Amino acid sequence: MNAKASSQTARSTDRANAWAHIVLNGALALLFAYLFLRAGSLPESAWEPLGAGTFPRLILAVLILLNLGIVAKQVPRAVHSPRLPAGSTRQWLWRHRLAFGVLGLFGAYTLTVPLLGFRLASFAFLMLVQYLLGARRWRSLLIALAIALTFSFGIYALFQSVFSISLPSGILG
Amino acid sequence: MLDALLSGAHQLFTLATMLTMLVGVVAGVIAAAIPGFTITMAIVLTLPLTFAMPPLQGVATMLAVYVGGYTGGMISAALLGIPGTPSAVATTFDAYPMARRGEPGRALGIGIWSSFFGALVSTFVLIVAAPPLAMVAVKLGAWEYFSLIIFAMTVVASLVGKSMLKGLMTGCLGLLIATVGSDPMMGEPRFTFDLSLLANGFPFLVVLIGVFAVSQLLQEVEDAEQVKQGKKLISANVVFKPMDAMRETIARPLNLIRSSLVGVFIGAVPGAGGSIANLLAYDQAKRASRHPDSFGTGTPEGVVASESGNSATSGGGLIPMIALGIPGSAVDAVLMASLMIHGIGVGPRLILDHGDIVYGMFMAMMLAAGMVLVVCLFSMRLFLRVTDVPRSIIVPVVLVCCVIGAFALNNRDTDIYLLLCIGIVGYLLSKLDYPLAPLVLGVILGPIAETNLRRALMSNEDWMLFLTRPISLTLLILALISVILALRYRFKASKRQPSQT
Repeated sequence: MNAKASSQTARSTDRANAWAHIVLNGALALLFAYLFLRAGSLPESAWEPLGAGTFPRLILAVLILLNLGIVAKQVPRAVHSPRLPAGSTRQWLWRHRLAFGVLGLFGAYTLTVPLLGFRLASFAFLMLVQYLLGARRWRSLLIALAIALTFSFGIYALFQSVFSISLPSGILG
Repeated sequence: MLDALLSGAHQLFTLATMLTMLVGVVAGVIAAAIPGFTITMAIVLTLPLTFAMPPLQGVATMLAVYVGGYTGGMISAALLGIPGTPSAVATTFDAYPMARRGEPGRALGIGIWSSFFGALVSTFVLIVAAPPLAMVAVKLGAWEYFSLIIFAMTVVASLVGKSMLKGLMTGCLGLLIATVGSDPMMGEPRFTFDLSLLANGFPFLVVLIGVFAVSQLLQEVEDAEQVKQGKKLISANVVFKPMDAMRETIARPLNLIRSSLVGVFIGAVPGAGGSIANLLAYDQAKRASRHPDSFGTGTPEGVVASESGNSATSGGGLIPMIALGIPGSAVDAVLMASLMIHGIGVGPRLILDHGDIVYGMFMAMMLAAGMVLVVCLFSMRLFLRVTDVPRSIIVPVVLVCCVIGAFALNNRDTDIYLLLCIGIVGYLLSKLDYPLAPLVLGVILGPIAETNLRRALMSNEDWMLFLTRPISLTLLILALISVILALRYRFKASKRQPSQT
């Protein structure tokens, strides 16, 4: 890639970054405005001048201003930087495939811990993530298996007996 | 004071405490030596394990992890050129070239001794500074406390990250997150939307794990190419001469003390911490050196400055925590949380009400520094192996530990779901360059700020009191100055480097 092309990519990621800010901070400003209105209905107190809603409203007001400020700073950047070349979103998603993969598995893991129990859910999560991140040969799969067993069934037993903390037992009872 | 000191010593020097501290030191060194596993992560994950311990044993174990971590971060910095933690960035400048030149043992030896002396100096300053500061702080009223928190938040926001607006935004977001759940004075539910998920608010530990572990681990696996190919350690034989390294380290007393004091001071400023201190100490040492050109080529001066600077922040950060109840960094916030879980109120009265714990912490710091020294000098060769552990193992294992940590606090399933939400939000914010440290400080300072604000206005409805009480006014002016200085600095920096994008 020559210098011109690389500066072109940098400028277009600039645009993507600016739009990401505008969308996120715009959405946050709206959310905070909604919460600000909602906090108005929190009860006043009989003993103090400030009710339950005053402090949150103070913070929310500052947050709305800060988010609008960030949006205002990003608009010129978004307008002045060149358009993204076609397919760059797909490229970006592909480059982050491992992070999204791990996040997806982690999401599934957190949701299944209460149902399947800590042992089964952790074992499946540990095996799948290690496979995803590169444990593909027999030897590394064996290491992965040992680690998965230690940090699911082993940790469960350790917490049960040493720290007397029961992690969710789930379907194994 | 003598009573408290003896009682603290009595609690500290028991077999159980010494043993968990030793395990903590080893765990801290190992965790920080693994690239991608930060000290903060290690401490956050130690917290749930200390629930069952007595308060001082729990805190001492966590301090051991902390002190060990600062030394461990140096191992991968010196041998791989990758800082194991952000606080070892400057260590790579000189320790890595030294190791590449064929002197890895010398680089590690000097680093270990500098860390030890840095921790020692900082503990000394802590012992001298914290009690008098607490004596002053006890007299502060609700007005001063609220202003103090405003000051701490603005300093954090202006020091961390590239944009002040973003620092303030995450700081305020932290304050807002802390308001979810029942309000601190009346118990009125706020922003819970009748969901059982939000009914108990966001527990501090869950926010901390989500922000500092989950979102950071996701960033570790972003670069698909890097995950697959591990980087090899320096293969040369490590020759270790501990006594020579010590002589070389104490032959630079000025550098050692200056860097340690820089570390202590930076550590005491809320939000700054080790990641800034090592760079600043390195910079100062370079300026003061007679051979500034030798910096970056593998001079022992640079290793001494960086390592004593970052280790000294550990004691510095405890000063505002012990004296004022305001944590200097995320790690101090975790230490504070561990005391609060045991029902010990952290604030200026800590040293009066629980002197044994405070003096116990001082002694634990010294003890931990000594343990790190002994452990590292005698088993360095074993630690060298841990930098080899691939990310495909670290990432899932630490994520499982995160879930355990989030769950074990209250035994609540909903906390695990909250962890996922916070992790995603944290990842999103850090992708967009938002600093996350202000968010965590906001969450822990939020309830303190609100309670003091409401208490102040309860005793007198006049808002002007914040501006007419001298200490409160001074703090607010300092807050304003920190904002103005930061803005000026940023403005100048952007002028010097007209946008290079």
